[in-house]
Amino acid sequence: MNAAIGSAGVALGLLASVFGVITLAVGIRSHKPLLLRRAGTYAALILVAGLIAAAAMERALITRDFTVRLVFENGSSLTPPLFNFASLWSALEGSIILWAVILGGYIALVAWKFRRRLDDPLVAWALLTMFVVAAFFFALMVGPADPFVSVNPPVGYDGPGPNKLLQNHPLMAFHPPMLYLGYVGFTVPFAFAIAALVTGRVGEGWLVETRRWTLFAWGFLTLGIALGAWWAYEVLGWGGYWGWDPVENASLLPWLTGTAYLHSVMVQERRGMLRVWNLALLCATFSLTILGTFLTRSGVVESVHAFSESSIGAWLLAFFGAIVVVTVGLIGWRGDRLRSPGSIDSPVSREGAFLANNILFGAFAFVVLLGTVFPLVVEALNDDQISVGSPFFERMTVPLGLALLTMMAIAPVLPWRKASMETLGQRLQWPAWFGAAALVGSVAIGERGLGTVAGYGLAGFAAGAAIRQVALATRRQGWRGLVGRTNGGMIVHLGVILIAVGIIASHANVVSREQRLEPGESFTVAGHELALVSVERTDTARTIRTTAAVRVDGGQIYEPQVNTYRVDGMTIPTPSVRTTWSHDIALTVSLGDWPDGPVQIRAVVQPLMSWLWTGALLMGLGTVLAAFPGRRRRPTDPVSGAIGVAEPEPERDPDAEPERAEVRT
Amino acid sequence: MSPRRRQLALSWAAVAVVVVAALAVGTFAADDPTPAERVRSLSSQFACPKCVGQSVQESDAGIAVEIRAEIVRRVQVGQGDGEILGFLESKYPGNLLTPSASGTASLVWALPVAGAVLALAGLAYAFVRWRPRDDVEVDAADRDLVDDALRSRRTGGATSDPGNRGARS
Repeated sequence: MNAAIGSAGVALGLLASVFGVITLAVGIRSHKPLLLRRAGTYAALILVAGLIAAAAMERALITRDFTVRLVFENGSSLTPPLFNFASLWSALEGSIILWAVILGGYIALVAWKFRRRLDDPLVAWALLTMFVVAAFFFALMVGPADPFVSVNPPVGYDGPGPNKLLQNHPLMAFHPPMLYLGYVGFTVPFAFAIAALVTGRVGEGWLVETRRWTLFAWGFLTLGIALGAWWAYEVLGWGGYWGWDPVENASLLPWLTGTAYLHSVMVQERRGMLRVWNLALLCATFSLTILGTFLTRSGVVESVHAFSESSIGAWLLAFFGAIVVVTVGLIGWRGDRLRSPGSIDSPVSREGAFLANNILFGAFAFVVLLGTVFPLVVEALNDDQISVGSPFFERMTVPLGLALLTMMAIAPVLPWRKASMETLGQRLQWPAWFGAAALVGSVAIGERGLGTVAGYGLAGFAAGAAIRQVALATRRQGWRGLVGRTNGGMIVHLGVILIAVGIIASHANVVSREQRLEPGESFTVAGHELALVSVERTDTARTIRTTAAVRVDGGQIYEPQVNTYRVDGMTIPTPSVRTTWSHDIALTVSLGDWPDGPVQIRAVVQPLMSWLWTGALLMGLGTVLAAFPGRRRRPTDPVSGAIGVAEPEPERDPDAEPERAEVRT
Repeated sequence: MSPRRRQLALSWAAVAVVVVAALAVGTFAADDPTPAERVRSLSSQFACPKCVGQSVQESDAGIAVEIRAEIVRRVQVGQGDGEILGFLESKYPGNLLTPSASGTASLVWALPVAGAVLALAGLAYAFVRWRPRDDVEVDAADRDLVDDALRSRRTGGATSDPGNRGARS
């Protein structure tokens, strides 16, 4: 029953996408607006089809319908409701359903937003592109990743439940959907980029149309990554939040190129430059989301995230290849129209800074991509097994991170076109003192190491520049000084800076120790006394739970646990983590020989972890603020005075120089 | 030099002195790493042989706990970092997380350097190519065009752009 409904949903989705593609293609070719206006119907059908498939699968999961293979393999009568609901995306096929639903949602939103312009070729091509992507994902569900395969369970069968690691923390219910909202969201600007290339309207129009879509996709991706890091921190119990795991890297890659795009797009809107570069960045971002899915779903890399081997890998790789070939081909074809009308006058200018930003983000993405796929490539070519782990990534990315912090300090105060050293010296004076104060303060409280103290100093410098911008804007415009792209962007910067400080501080000062303890014994970590009070075993239907009660500093009791799942004997620790604004204590227990011997307690103490999560929240808030309409400026407005041939102009328009005006305040 | 410029220059000189001094103290007054710090750093440089994608530092598998204990023992008897990692690599080959600087693996270090050189060269080329051209003559007709655009903006465009105007009043 559930399988039949779900399969019907999948079939409907595939049909709607394919017919959508055909209808739009015919409509565009024969210039029939009537056909183009049908797009809305197909978009709605795709969303409905996705919802039917998802609802059928959820119904199967909730009613424990073990005749559906996904439930047979990932359901269990013992799984708590929240994790049972989240089982949808704990399995390969289910995660494709989630992808399809979200894609359907985005397509329907685009069709609705542009409902009066469906016969515009740009919109038609964009929707056609999205229909192709939807057709691909529904085809996956018909072919290699069919979620609704029927099985015949034995009488009285109960399934094993989802991966035990994934039913350990409620964040599991939020991290994947948030990440997917980000991943899939990049389909929209990508589709418009393709449409712009095909129609030849490669000017700035499509950028402006998709500005907010990109921003929200980026915001969701940011929050999704942050939630993933938080999940890792709370669940894995080694005090870390980022392991440079291939799949974590796969989510970081589109974020890096997407961030680069968000910045360089401003150069194009303002100056009409970097057109090819922006298209390439956007297509790279979208294709990297597919590559990321390939890495996660095909089993080529082994990690906690990767699902079991499946033939879906070949499909995803082929799709990735097709995207790259099509976009490179289109960009080559439109090369003549993509020449930029403007030019960069001076490297010391806003556009010069954005270019440097892009180089840094590009280098960051390159290093992460290289470190992730290098072992795969070497193994495929050479049959050698090599590991590329955190030492490589840290050595490569720390200098890039510091350079990015430096750019974050300098870039926001730079005017467009050209800055004099004096302007720069003036505007950066107070941020520089702010940074110097952070540097001196960090040295004074005992931080050591060139990278570490320089990091604090640069974070202070960047924070100073961001605060200066926000302060100037709010003084001039009141609350409006907090909204709009520039001002919201500064709030995002402040969030990034909080995260940077959290990373530097926790990295430089983490203390971890492990100790075998009998109840009544204690040990000391980073000035905290940990006394093991008791170890107790509770039997539940699902697990055998062993809880260690540890008294910290004679006060609070922490209760790290170990759950041994009855169904497969898998042992999953549940750390006990307490967060304060200044530092965190995380305790993990492992059983060792218990109850015949002592248990082992592992304690990790690190400062400023809360800054990471606060920073991520601030980034989300800044994204929302940036999406609000700020002060409007027509992209074609003259924004600076005559250059080069500066002839004295008797009545120059003061409005023509907004950036200079800012200096006077 | 105007007093204001002199003041600015002085301020920047002071910042420079403070920053250099603080960086010097922060860099050279560092203590040697404590044994606990060495253990943590060493155990994050070695992959857990039985796990997937986790270092010895991250894993709670039995073998990872064992290797951590081994590292603690060896740090306590005063072995150097290279010696300890060498021992682990000989016992569990292929688990060093730092790619080696020779052979095929060294490419992973060399490629980013090559990429950086190429990027910088490309950037330099772009700036050279983008330099404002001297050979473009601006004639009266061009100036008229610009003047017209500015004039129409002042009359027609100003009303459509209230935010911009209000911002400065």
